[in-house]
Amino acid sequence: MTYSELQVTTHYSFLRGASSPEQVFTTAANMGMPALGVTDRNSVGGVVRALVAAEQISQQGYPIRMIAGCRLDLVDGTSLLVWPEDRPAWSRLTRLLTLGKGRADAQKGEKGQCFLHWEDVAEHAAGLVSAIVPGMTETFDQDDLALRWMVDVFGKRGHLCLTQHRRPGDPLRLHLLAEKARHFGLAPVATGDILYDTPDRRMLQDVVAAIRSKCTIDDLGFRRERSADRHLKSPEEMARRFKRYPEAIAATHAIVERCTFSLRELKEQYRYPDEVVISGKSPQDALAKMARTALEERFAPEPIPPAYTTLLEHELALVEEMGYAPYFLTVNSIVRFARSQEILCQGRGSAANSVICFVLGITSIDPVFHKLLFERFISTERHEPPDIDVDFEHERREEVIQWIYETYGRNHAAMTAVVSRFRTRGAVREVGKALGLSEDMTAALSGQVWGWSSDGLPPEHVEALNLDPTEQRLALTLDLAKQLIGTPRHLSQHPGGFVLAHGRLDELLPVEPAAMVDRRVVEWEKLDVEELGLMKVDILGLGMLGCMRRTFDLLRAHKDISLRLDSPLMQGEDRETFAMIQTADTLGVFQIESRAQMSMLPRMRPENFYDIAIQVAIVRPGPIQGDMVHPYLKRREQQRQGKVEIEYPSPKLRVVLEKTLGVPLFQEQAMQVAIEGAGFTGGEADRLRRAMATFKQTGGVGEFRDKLISGMLGNGISLDFAERLVKQIEGFGSYGFPESHAASFAKIAYASSWMKCHHPEIFCAALLNAQPMGFYAPAQIVRDAREHGVEALPVCINRSDWDTIVVPAPSDAPPNVRPRDTRFWGTDADWRSLLPIRLGMRIVLGLSEDDAAAIVKARAAGPFTSVEDAWRRSGVKPAALEKLARADAFQCLGLNRRQALWAIKGLGQAPLLLLTAADNRAGAIIPESHEPAVALIPLTAGREVVEDYRATQLTLRNHPLHFLRGELDRLRIRKCADLKTMKDGARVEVAGIILVRQRPGSAEGVVFVTLEDETGIANAILWKDRFEAQRRILMAASMISVVGHVQSESGVIHVVADRIVDHTHLLRGIGDLELPDMKMPGDGATRGGTIDPRDRSRLPLFDRLEEVIPIKSHDFH
Amino acid sequence: MLVTSLREGSKILIAAASPAARALDIRPGMAVTQARALVPGLDIRPADPEGDRAELTRLAIAAARHWSPVVALSGEDGMFIDITGTAHLFGGEEAMARRIVRLLARLGFTARIAVADSAGAAWALARYGPYARRGICRDDGRVLLCPPGAHSDAIATLPTIALRLEPAAIELLKRLGVDDIGQLAAMPRAPLVRRFGAFMVARIDQAMGRTSEPLDPVVPLKHIMICQRFAEPILTGEVIAHWLGHLIPQLTGKLGRAGRGARMIELVADRIDGRPQIIRIGVARASRDPAHLERLLLRRIETIDPGFGIDALTLHVRRSEPLGAQSFVERLDEETKPDLAPLVDTLATRIGTGRLWRSQPIESDVPERSVASAPVLDPPERAAAPLKPGDVRQLDRTADLHPWHHRWPRPIRMLRRPELLDHVIAELPDQPPRRFTWRGTTHRVVRADGPERVLGEWWKRASEQHSVRDYFRVEDEAGQRFWLFRRGDGERGETGDLSWFMHGAFG
Repeated sequence: MTYSELQVTTHYSFLRGASSPEQVFTTAANMGMPALGVTDRNSVGGVVRALVAAEQISQQGYPIRMIAGCRLDLVDGTSLLVWPEDRPAWSRLTRLLTLGKGRADAQKGEKGQCFLHWEDVAEHAAGLVSAIVPGMTETFDQDDLALRWMVDVFGKRGHLCLTQHRRPGDPLRLHLLAEKARHFGLAPVATGDILYDTPDRRMLQDVVAAIRSKCTIDDLGFRRERSADRHLKSPEEMARRFKRYPEAIAATHAIVERCTFSLRELKEQYRYPDEVVISGKSPQDALAKMARTALEERFAPEPIPPAYTTLLEHELALVEEMGYAPYFLTVNSIVRFARSQEILCQGRGSAANSVICFVLGITSIDPVFHKLLFERFISTERHEPPDIDVDFEHERREEVIQWIYETYGRNHAAMTAVVSRFRTRGAVREVGKALGLSEDMTAALSGQVWGWSSDGLPPEHVEALNLDPTEQRLALTLDLAKQLIGTPRHLSQHPGGFVLAHGRLDELLPVEPAAMVDRRVVEWEKLDVEELGLMKVDILGLGMLGCMRRTFDLLRAHKDISLRLDSPLMQGEDRETFAMIQTADTLGVFQIESRAQMSMLPRMRPENFYDIAIQVAIVRPGPIQGDMVHPYLKRREQQRQGKVEIEYPSPKLRVVLEKTLGVPLFQEQAMQVAIEGAGFTGGEADRLRRAMATFKQTGGVGEFRDKLISGMLGNGISLDFAERLVKQIEGFGSYGFPESHAASFAKIAYASSWMKCHHPEIFCAALLNAQPMGFYAPAQIVRDAREHGVEALPVCINRSDWDTIVVPAPSDAPPNVRPRDTRFWGTDADWRSLLPIRLGMRIVLGLSEDDAAAIVKARAAGPFTSVEDAWRRSGVKPAALEKLARADAFQCLGLNRRQALWAIKGLGQAPLLLLTAADNRAGAIIPESHEPAVALIPLTAGREVVEDYRATQLTLRNHPLHFLRGELDRLRIRKCADLKTMKDGARVEVAGIILVRQRPGSAEGVVFVTLEDETGIANAILWKDRFEAQRRILMAASMISVVGHVQSESGVIHVVADRIVDHTHLLRGIGDLELPDMKMPGDGATRGGTIDPRDRSRLPLFDRLEEVIPIKSHDFH
Repeated sequence: MLVTSLREGSKILIAAASPAARALDIRPGMAVTQARALVPGLDIRPADPEGDRAELTRLAIAAARHWSPVVALSGEDGMFIDITGTAHLFGGEEAMARRIVRLLARLGFTARIAVADSAGAAWALARYGPYARRGICRDDGRVLLCPPGAHSDAIATLPTIALRLEPAAIELLKRLGVDDIGQLAAMPRAPLVRRFGAFMVARIDQAMGRTSEPLDPVVPLKHIMICQRFAEPILTGEVIAHWLGHLIPQLTGKLGRAGRGARMIELVADRIDGRPQIIRIGVARASRDPAHLERLLLRRIETIDPGFGIDALTLHVRRSEPLGAQSFVERLDEETKPDLAPLVDTLATRIGTGRLWRSQPIESDVPERSVASAPVLDPPERAAAPLKPGDVRQLDRTADLHPWHHRWPRPIRMLRRPELLDHVIAELPDQPPRRFTWRGTTHRVVRADGPERVLGEWWKRASEQHSVRDYFRVEDEAGQRFWLFRRGDGERGETGDLSWFMHGAFG
């Protein structure tokens, strides 16, 4: 007789359990348990992970089975465990959970709760084995209601849990419970009420309870778990403890035998949703017909090249074999809907490998032309539905989502979940709070964490804050936070993952209402849904697609040019565009705008569309770590000079690797190398691809290594080359790009580059209107556009819309007659048609779109003549006008910031009715009162800039550092622009505002910093030791200078930093500085002006009201 | 480098910084962690705002007694002294100011004094004096003297923050480019009132001395006492009691007029040999009920040793609290809860306040920590707010576990320190002992219950990280019931060394 633990709470019962399914299953399997029942609270969120864990451990020779179950906490306080016997019972359980969760009102803050009553359980009880969980001291009355329900509802399948709590009177309590069970005819069953796998995890359990109760561990008191011994106990130990109740131990075995349901059975039940496309045809026939017709149309009137027909038929046969036709039809319908609504969309990911997707227009990449591998996309060995991701315009994605709900019905479509987990930052913050560290200390600690790290917080960082990491609470915090990392904290919805089913979705898995109205979300993550073979479609939003639509609209409106993503002009042939890309002048364009991309472009020098695809794929952690970038660049250089013929290890691999010059850069190539070079089957190669995701943890290709190398040796490939290839494949890890994906992205990258090259004003306006997106802040986007000859006009109450607009050229005036800017990339005709842009009110911080709309609407009757006029006619609150005044939008009325603010402050909260009536009669605005004029001191130039930044985060005036140049010259700090003329290796110090701090995961702790001064930007590199030594300055400062030497390589310039200096205090002073060529005021003789900033240090009583110029840096990781 | 820290919400901020710390750019309002990161080895001590305020009030009272009848507190760190008509008593304004500064320096305070025609101007100059236009005031860093009539000019160059305005108004002025008081004062008044309200104009006028500023002076508390001298020394308790019956109503009358209630009263009986006899009584709640006070005092009369006679009785109120008018009954139709305070006072006069306490449960499973003593009259904890009618939690029929649950009994008497047991025979891992020896007596166990597993509270002490105690309730042959525990859970070594202890007895 053996024992299986049937009551295990994993950490998927958010903040209740302390162990992951993997941990409990490993421990249980080691103890020799044949099965483990997972019973999370009102949830089955963890069962898929548990299933995977159980299967993996079984494969390693410790057979263990996962019994899916759930702990139902009813509204009346009763708790019962349920385990479905078979698939119909599982469906009833999921419907029961769906019902209970549907009663929670997310708007009332009940999200994630589940309200169930005995009556509901009774309706869904068929096929469920159940056990009632008595309370800590509960021994039930003679005539207990819960036990009577239990007997009525479950009869022979009803049990009563006997659990040792290690509290006084345990033996007596168990005795009474066993008696009571016998009295009611329920079988007692022994359980351990497991919360964690080993006793060591108790501390984490307490902390998790404190986090859940939102209090400190000291105040937690009896909200802590009161029963001890919540770890897994071995079957022998349980048999010993329950030797008075052998029938309770036997009952676990009976339940395990009875509940044969496996989640894998769900696949049998699952069916794809039907598509009504062509009546009277099966989905397969319909798909085949559509695809063939589409193929003909694509090449008409030419005959179809045979390669396409062969590939299409091959794919169709595969699709038929796997029965995936409805899936393709579904995606096709969604894309067609989007097209009909003129929503830009593009398929990406492995879907682009498919010629079916290509001819149906789901993707725009030609797989025949690019020799893509269909097996990557779909394979017979995998028995997994294909993965088609479609990007839509970010703003209009919601329309597509709602259409899906309407078309497939809310019972058949739901979003997948995302389990948000603790990362270092959150873990340190929450554990610190639970252990009673002050908020500023936890904030400072988590401020030391770079981005989304999951590595915990090393003690050096704590010491950097002058804190003592051996202090007990602090040490506990660091230790427990590390343990907490990866623990799920709550469930939220995936932004675009849909699960679709033909039958009711809630018979497969629980569906609950999401926080957003009208959204429903399942309990499982994308990965879980995929694991069980259910269909999911990703409806993703891509900001750049929205931006491109805006550019097309603007082009049509202002320059009468009609373009689309698939227009001939967008196909990658334009000389000027490539000239621009080659000099890395790509700020704002899709994908190739990051610092790393920009530093690669001058070396890569893309000349055609495929080069861009490579560029997109090559600057990825995978290829960088696999050491593929430099060989590729070297060969490219050689090829360009035409010197050396590139050697390929075998003719077979030549076909595979030719287009990337012998270096595998894409995931498909790795697979093809395995197939062609090492003789893998398509399915094996696919396994290899899937294993890549875990290379990072497992530390290499492992089991595939020998096969790869021996296979390649057998094909006559040298050992040296084979090992290099294996190393490169390893490098892909989870970061590799499939080629099709790169090609899809390259398409958008090229289109946006073309736009930036030829119509920079339109590109700039569209990009500003699509914010927030991309790598750069509006300030840099505007600055870049101005450097390319675009005239940018400031926000104006009488001329600006909400969006940034392109100012139409007057019909009679000549077009742009300014002399051509040397930095303008487009043609002369483009230059002549260049138009100015007017910044929109959306850049004004804090201004709501409604207020802006009211202002624009009121303005239609004629421009405003005064502040009061604007207020009375638009009807917005003075606070909204104040925000505009801060952004200096009243210059057109002859008012500077201060004068406008003065006027606005004189307005009341609402116009007086009497006066409004008088206005109406007079037909004009009569001012409410006449006031004596007030002379306000004009702003200094420096202050104007500071205020610009405060109100809009950008300035069209001088750069802040312009005002500091005198001081910086004195400190012998050079301008950023000077770097271009400096020699490699020269010592230099440059200063600037920090725009971007980056620490790519592939760069082993190296930090890249981008600085900006009035002449341009400088990129600095901090090696790991330099960064760690000066971490605090870099993380906290807004303006620094970097001392180091210049590193210049084929036009890419970096400053390798030895030392950084914090100059934030200089920025603080700008608001009080006059232009450098003016005299410093405030000498006491002429009253007025401001206080001499140099006096400040002697006047400690003077409070600094001045803030640093608020420039937000973007930090990427 | 000394700073003080103050908890504000969940943040710990710097309340004040020493000049050395300020020189290192540490400012009040900064987060302590930030400061600590900036300066290693910073000496951080908790701020005591209440203490500061009490100290300032005491200082103000002292000032009111010595220098001027009108002394008012100003914020957390300043005071106004109206020296009109008193300066000449101390040798003129300057001499007086210097004397005050010197006196404060002796008391350990760094002070800065500004003398000006209006309270507002003095406030501004004391704090922002270095901004004042040179040549008008005489300023040596400690004392600033503003000549009569010159204060408007003197403060004109001061920043607007010197006007005691709200932060929002100062921020707005700054954005309008109005940086100093002179600029502000020169602006037309009607538009200012329209934008900033009358308060700002009033502040300008107060600073300029155009309108008067009423001060809210501190009033020194008068010592409340009553004294009765006797022509003939008195000797007996009856006579003392008789006189007390006269004196106490007078004392409570005085207390009533002052709006206060006594917490501690001292009766001093002056003996003719010059050795005063003192009785001190305290009450649990401020009181001026003559009957109650008399009862308490009379009970202690026997402790007075009259010697050769007492020639004076004095009643001093040593500690008092504000106590407003009191109604006899709160509501006529309601039965008031019996008031424990008189009983407590009676008991306390008998056995001393130190021996009276209430026990209250603490949410901890560790026996030593599960009880705390609380002051006798502290209000018991409030019950949780009742659930709303629509709340589903109302349907919950399972009761909360009370900290002292009747099913989990604890012994009536617990040993102050657990005592080590010898010769314990018990089966591992979780069986109760069969036999043990305690204080030399061997007990054979016939019945037992357990274990109750008490886990160490790891957040309190590092040594409790793994520790476990297994408690057993045992009964020996004689029917005695004991409460024993073993260190360790019997399975894992790090949980304890398996030694046994006696921790209490039942009945």
